[in-house]
Amino acid sequence: MIKRAPRSCAPIAATLLIPFLLAWLPARAAEKPEVVVYTSVDQVFSEPIFRAFEARWGGTVRAVFDTEETKSTGVLNRLVAESRNPQADVFWSGDPVRPFVLIRRGLVDKYVSPVATSIPASFKATDGSWTGFAGRARVLLVNSRIVKPGEMPRSVRDLAKPLWKGKTAIANPLFGTTTMHVAALFAAWGDETSKKFFEDLKTNEVRIASSNGEVKRLVASGEVAFGLADTDDAHEAFAEHAPIEVVYPDQDGIGSLVMPTAAVLVRGGPHPNEARKLIDYLVSSEVEAKLAQSAAHLPLRPEVKAPIGAPSLGGLKTMSVDYGRVAETMQELQPWLRQWVGF
Amino acid sequence: MGRFLSRRAVRAQEQLFFWAVAATVALAVVLPLAVLTGQLAAGDPAQRHSVLATLATPSLWLLLARSVGLAIAVTALSLTVGVPIGFLLSRTDVPGRRSAFLLHAFPMFLPPFAMALGWFHILGRNGAFGSESTSRFFFGESGLLLVLGATFTPIASTMVALGVRGIDPALEEAARLVAPPGAWKWPLATRIVLPLARPAIALAALVVFTLSFSELGVPMFLRVKAYPAVVFSRLGGIDFQPGEAFALVLPLLAISALVLAGERRWAARRSFSVLGLRSGESPLWELGRARAPATTLCWLAVAVSIAPIASLALRAARGQGFSSLGDWAGAGLVNSLSVSGLAAIAIAILGVVLGHALARGLKGAALVDAVTVLAFVTPAAVLGVGLIATWNRPATDWVYRGRAILVIALVARYTAIGARTIAVAMAQGSPHLEEAAAAFGA
Repeated sequence: MIKRAPRSCAPIAATLLIPFLLAWLPARAAEKPEVVVYTSVDQVFSEPIFRAFEARWGGTVRAVFDTEETKSTGVLNRLVAESRNPQADVFWSGDPVRPFVLIRRGLVDKYVSPVATSIPASFKATDGSWTGFAGRARVLLVNSRIVKPGEMPRSVRDLAKPLWKGKTAIANPLFGTTTMHVAALFAAWGDETSKKFFEDLKTNEVRIASSNGEVKRLVASGEVAFGLADTDDAHEAFAEHAPIEVVYPDQDGIGSLVMPTAAVLVRGGPHPNEARKLIDYLVSSEVEAKLAQSAAHLPLRPEVKAPIGAPSLGGLKTMSVDYGRVAETMQELQPWLRQWVGF
Repeated sequence: MGRFLSRRAVRAQEQLFFWAVAATVALAVVLPLAVLTGQLAAGDPAQRHSVLATLATPSLWLLLARSVGLAIAVTALSLTVGVPIGFLLSRTDVPGRRSAFLLHAFPMFLPPFAMALGWFHILGRNGAFGSESTSRFFFGESGLLLVLGATFTPIASTMVALGVRGIDPALEEAARLVAPPGAWKWPLATRIVLPLARPAIALAALVVFTLSFSELGVPMFLRVKAYPAVVFSRLGGIDFQPGEAFALVLPLLAISALVLAGERRWAARRSFSVLGLRSGESPLWELGRARAPATTLCWLAVAVSIAPIASLALRAARGQGFSSLGDWAGAGLVNSLSVSGLAAIAIAILGVVLGHALARGLKGAALVDAVTVLAFVTPAAVLGVGLIATWNRPATDWVYRGRAILVIALVARYTAIGARTIAVAMAQGSPHLEEAAAAFGA
């Protein structure tokens, strides 16, 4: 008869116990006040803001960020999905248009922050349903090794120029800030001109990237000559020493689209008082200054210094935008956009 | 009389555990999908009309067929490479086989999108080995095949290695006696060992097919149109339509049924057992003259596995990514380990009961198995929305606001793998061993 030495149960017991211990230990620390924020502002920029708020306030910020796969609309749709029993207190949107989706569904409480009085009126709702701050602009990222100075694109229309056939990129217009940009163009140019432009983009074999971050990657690596992205993507490209130039498009025409980020108080959130404190901090000039430095966001307050190398808002020709109208256009466009993308 | 009563008690116990597992699967999988069905049924008639119009579009079905074709191609590639690699690394005297196995298997722990990014830094226009032609190769179906094939091949080789290790060496020894002397290796490998590991290979095919079919990030990155993106566009776009997304998942029912039928037919139950008392004790095969080419093949597979990871590590090192690792990791590692550990324990428990029921043909087991496979095939975002709709209620806040909801989500998605892995192992063993154990009161 073969005798085997009895196996020790210790490894098996440890394997079973460790996950329970890991699951239990952090929960013990959750006795401080907390606030829950969902944000579509890139984690690399928003998380330091939350950590700074925690240090000042003494509580815990539980943050949910969007991801490369879920894009900017992921957290928005999670808020909609959770609307029967809200889990978030604050929504910090990467653009001012997505909050309108929540406002129209009655998922927002009004809050006029006393800190936001110095923010220009065009970047906030008078009733406090949303408050804009720290804007991003839509820009053309240009690979300076491929594009000669004399050929530099100056307008979004250059994405459809035959000279650049197959050499331009935009992020998928169904997701992210490109959705808002498309809607803004439709509002500015009208349906016929806009649809013609998008058909020209297809003819010109524009590459549809999964995100603005991927547009940045494609331009930086030389896969394409230039592409449409946001100012914070440009900032990341510079930090990575990519051979990039930034063009603020249509300065001779309709102007560049500026998208303030926006703070919204979620109706029925579990920590309303803490939520107001967080919103007061987010819309402060201190945070605008931090985001200008770390993420090349454009401060909406004239007294806050613009990021190095970027124009101030006053020095830029900006697109004239009715954010509420753009939000409506965004939703109306979805079936046509899905067909354009091929979904 | 004592033995008859013991057998009945064992059967009753089996039934009780099985129905407990079935109830868990119903709670984790059926309920969320039923809630989504309810949302679709109770929703705006215009939405239902839109769903029907979408489902009637020929281009949708062409896209579905294309996605299935690509998934089959990835599966074929993974098995073609993974089966021999799994065998060589587990049963032969390839030098450094344990290290090779660990390195080759490492990509299984990383998201496929990270692997795609790594390959981009190798084959992209400005990549380490990049050019205009490698870029054209990479951004398209061929690149998708490379990235997903390289990412999922370790799944095939790992399952084959486990399947082959489980074979009783007495079966090999018997086959060697009747094989031509000096020429036994190839016939033994191809006609005895690998066929005996067929259930493991079939399971690997099921897992790789499902993972590659449901992958969203890599096709989007490589600009390949894939069916899951159509579903995701209803959940990630500005008009949130979970009911429509679920309706688009319904054709996947047919896919799951075909995949299950194929796997069950190919890995049909045997009339003899493969697992024996000496399983796991098989001596290594000495490859002789074939050792050098086999070693080259194995280490080439390792190189393909770790190349994208190395390219990412190099970029991180150059860009000071490692120095800020602590800032970014935060509590993420602890959270992930605790949740996945708890889910793994739950899946193992469910898998033992369901796998046993499947292997022994218990009534209802095939249906529960089909439900778990459907959950595995369903895009994760759809399952997630169903879970939110089910569990995000004041009465179940204690579940939704903690780690429990993540554990439920992982159990819903991956029980199929746990159950089928254990079913494969049990199918290889003999029921008589269980009867003998029961007779002694086990």
